[in-house]
Amino acid sequence: MTKRLSSQKLLKNNVLDTHLCTGCGACVSLCPYQAIYNDRTIQFHYCDLADGKCHAYCPRTPTDFDRLRELLFEAADLTPEIGALKAYYLTRAADPELRAVVQHGGTVTALLELALAEGLIDAALVSSDVEQYLHYGTVVYDKAALRKSAGVKFVVFPMAAAFNQFAQREKGRAGVVATPCQALALAKMKLNIDKDKEQKVNQLCLVIGLYCGWALSAEKFSALLAKKDIKKENIKRMDIPAGKNILELYTREGVKEIPLAEAQACVRDACNYCIDSTAEYADVSVGAARFTGTADEQRGWNQLVVRTRKGGDLVDMAVKRGVLEIKEAPAESLRQLKEAAMEKKKNALANIAHKSGSAKNLLYLDSRDEMLREILKTD
Amino acid sequence: MSKLLSSANKEVLFMGNEAIARGALEAGVNVAAAYPGTPSSEVIENLASVAKERNLYVEWSTNEKVAAEVAAAASFAGLRSMCVMKQNGVNVASDFLLHLTASGTRGGIVLVICEDPGALSSVNEGESRYFARMLEMPLLEPADFQEAKDLTKWAFELSEKIHNIVMLRSVTRMSHASGNVICGKLPNKIRQARFVYDGPLTDPLKGPVISTPVGVKHKLQQEKLKTARELFEKSLFNKYIGPKKPRLLIITSSACYLYAKEAVSMLGLQNRVGILKLGCTWPLPEKLLKKYLRLTNKIMIVEEVLPFMEENIKVLAASYPKEIGVKTFYGKIDGTFPSVGELNPDVVAEALAKIMKVKYKKLPVSYAQELRKVAEVIPSRDQTFCPGCPHRASFWNINAALKLDGRDGFVCGDIGCYAMASLTPAIGFYTVRTLHSMGSGTGLASGFAKLDMFGFDKPVLSVCGDSTFYHAVIPALINARHHQADITFVVLDNAGTAMTGFQPHPGLTVSATGENVPAVDIGKICAALGAKVAVSDPFDLEATTKKLGAFLEEKVNLKILILRQICALSPEKKGKKQYDVKVSDELCLGDECGCNRLCTRIFRCPALTWDKAKRKAVVDEVICAGCGFCSSICPQNAIVKAKARVL
Repeated sequence: MTKRLSSQKLLKNNVLDTHLCTGCGACVSLCPYQAIYNDRTIQFHYCDLADGKCHAYCPRTPTDFDRLRELLFEAADLTPEIGALKAYYLTRAADPELRAVVQHGGTVTALLELALAEGLIDAALVSSDVEQYLHYGTVVYDKAALRKSAGVKFVVFPMAAAFNQFAQREKGRAGVVATPCQALALAKMKLNIDKDKEQKVNQLCLVIGLYCGWALSAEKFSALLAKKDIKKENIKRMDIPAGKNILELYTREGVKEIPLAEAQACVRDACNYCIDSTAEYADVSVGAARFTGTADEQRGWNQLVVRTRKGGDLVDMAVKRGVLEIKEAPAESLRQLKEAAMEKKKNALANIAHKSGSAKNLLYLDSRDEMLREILKTD
Repeated sequence: MSKLLSSANKEVLFMGNEAIARGALEAGVNVAAAYPGTPSSEVIENLASVAKERNLYVEWSTNEKVAAEVAAAASFAGLRSMCVMKQNGVNVASDFLLHLTASGTRGGIVLVICEDPGALSSVNEGESRYFARMLEMPLLEPADFQEAKDLTKWAFELSEKIHNIVMLRSVTRMSHASGNVICGKLPNKIRQARFVYDGPLTDPLKGPVISTPVGVKHKLQQEKLKTARELFEKSLFNKYIGPKKPRLLIITSSACYLYAKEAVSMLGLQNRVGILKLGCTWPLPEKLLKKYLRLTNKIMIVEEVLPFMEENIKVLAASYPKEIGVKTFYGKIDGTFPSVGELNPDVVAEALAKIMKVKYKKLPVSYAQELRKVAEVIPSRDQTFCPGCPHRASFWNINAALKLDGRDGFVCGDIGCYAMASLTPAIGFYTVRTLHSMGSGTGLASGFAKLDMFGFDKPVLSVCGDSTFYHAVIPALINARHHQADITFVVLDNAGTAMTGFQPHPGLTVSATGENVPAVDIGKICAALGAKVAVSDPFDLEATTKKLGAFLEEKVNLKILILRQICALSPEKKGKKQYDVKVSDELCLGDECGCNRLCTRIFRCPALTWDKAKRKAVVDEVICAGCGFCSSICPQNAIVKAKARVL
């Protein structure tokens, strides 16, 4: 009989050592053995438990995607390119003050503000720049604090860890802002609720996904910033303006530009193996409205994908309450989104096959998965 | 009154090291210096305890070389002195000893070495008898407790006669076992220190004490050895017991004499086997050996550690084949005895039985079975840090900092209780990867750090205790600083030489004899080196790990973190709990928790145990030292600490 490897060892062998780790933090704050620090997942001591939550929640371990989709979505909404799609709009926060402090349309902040105000959630978990020792993300309970932390960062904050930590400390319901990998991790928590004796995952009430093409490795990016003599703590937000091939850093000393190629050299290895650019496992997904030909017209707006009924209800309420301005997206917008998403999936699958050495071995993905077969078919 | 000062002719039960101390007192020793090290430490501790009554100067020196120098100064001034060390201490002192044996001495001076065959409390099985041959000084080895006293006394006389230092070698089983000793007289004569140095260069007794002119002094040194040999020929410390015509002759010394005697009697070979016990083992008494080697052709050498006597006796035998005949030697070299580890009567009896073709009855089978039964019910005890030991917390912090750093850094270990972190890796949470002599951890770290030009990219830490810091680490630190070695050095400052029994060291304000002395501050020395220095309490997990993490990250060439927390067993702290620590039954989820028994499986403080019935952790309040550190590692915060009530 072969000895069964512990969950921790499996994570080390199949996720950490193979550079598939997304730094989402799903395996962190469940036990004292693992932590995230400086964007790296750390194993402090050896744990010999098998069948652990750390392994089950990880977005880069095998997942029963059929069950997951069945659990979260309605079958009719599923698309091979961008996952479940109930509705697709262009949106922005109605409050001009909010729009002034955010990057694009302020949709994420507006939705969270509403969810908090309406008592749908007790706390919003958002990324945090504040250096805290082994504390993940920021727990926000009100509008003012929420507005302070708005802004796109391009560096992954371990929001799944933030949720685990929140659920361990507090009893309330949380809304989490998550990248695609994090949204998948959070979804896997719901899928593996049988492993969660205290059913803490029920505290997870809302997942707002963010579009994500890639994220920067904090370590590599810090090194680049140091080389450019830019202080990390002075960066307020970042942007990649369309068509300019630069990464803009909004710092206290003004806007600094980094050639996009240099920034992209700092992308996490894991991002090359990610097939999700629209946070397919969130309740709603939000990105910048940016598609060719209409750039000016769409500036200051978001794209919003409604995926679940809960997500749809929140958006409806936001419109009703006048929190969110909404308009129909041109068909071209969705077409381009799907095309870009598909492009990412194909590249990632090719990268995965290259890494494993076989098109049949897709590492954490299953080549027999229905949705993947759709994608692979289109080649 | 201390039994060490018992009156003449009184029979007293002395531990070997007490007997050595008594011998020194009977010889009228004036000055004694040592660096602590098991199994040698009790010699100085005993002398210190009677220092006032006997008008002695006794000190715990910074290291063995300094101890030898302090003792030598007394000898140069005409006093009687001794320095004491464990086997590897001789290596530290050897450079000075090489020159000391060449310059010669004046007042009687004895170098006491307590060796540790089998490394019962050492990380080496060092053999120092070769130093006697190499440095050309006489060597004496007591074989029982009476001899431990008598030989020590005689060693002073011999030293004063030949004007050179004399080495006296004990072993753990001699130093730490006890036996009856009949005391001799304690002298009343008080010597005055007087250093004469204005005679000619070639007069070692009146001129400057110096090892040159080398030709002259070296020749003189060898003549002293010849004198010693002549005295050895007649010495009563060498004796033969056995038949006039033995079939086999055992030549032995030290505790091995007792093993050999017992083995011969166990096998009933008293009429066929003779034992030549040597108290004077270098230079060998040639005439005496020739006389006994003639008795038979079968020679067995019984000795521990390296075949020192065996080699020397073989050389001697090879020089006189016509006079003594051709011999068959049984010893370590031909494999009759194991080349490592301690001997005991059984090992000797087994070897002897084979050669003498007699039956050796090992323990009866039933006896072995009974033994095994007893062994089963004795709870197994891990080699580990004590409950409340700050080292456990320190290594927990170091592991956390190294893991957070993520570059697979490691620790170069050093000598002290914390050496256990490398001897049993789980205790140091798999952080310590090298362990050598005192101070070498930091020297190694300094070297590792300079390998970056060859592609080495791991952060390197070194650790050492407070006593070790003074002993041998400072030169390595200077080296690291001067050569810009990017290392993090952690001082595990537990306020005493804990491993050997809390002997004071230069960081404390008390001397070996209890006097008030100025402390030499580790932090100030480190700061004077130009290093970046920080201090932390190892029981403060977050602060310590953060400080360590910041040091690992920082590209400065020498960073020093002093982790200050008194040893749990120190007289000041022992029995005084800072916290009452309990596992909350409500909060501890036991096996239901995702912690996988972090406290009892990984952290493993002996005071934390697993209650099999409850399937939860419990604190054994009898052995818990109340440090409270474990409360910061429990993910459920189920280990609760409350300020202990002062009784």
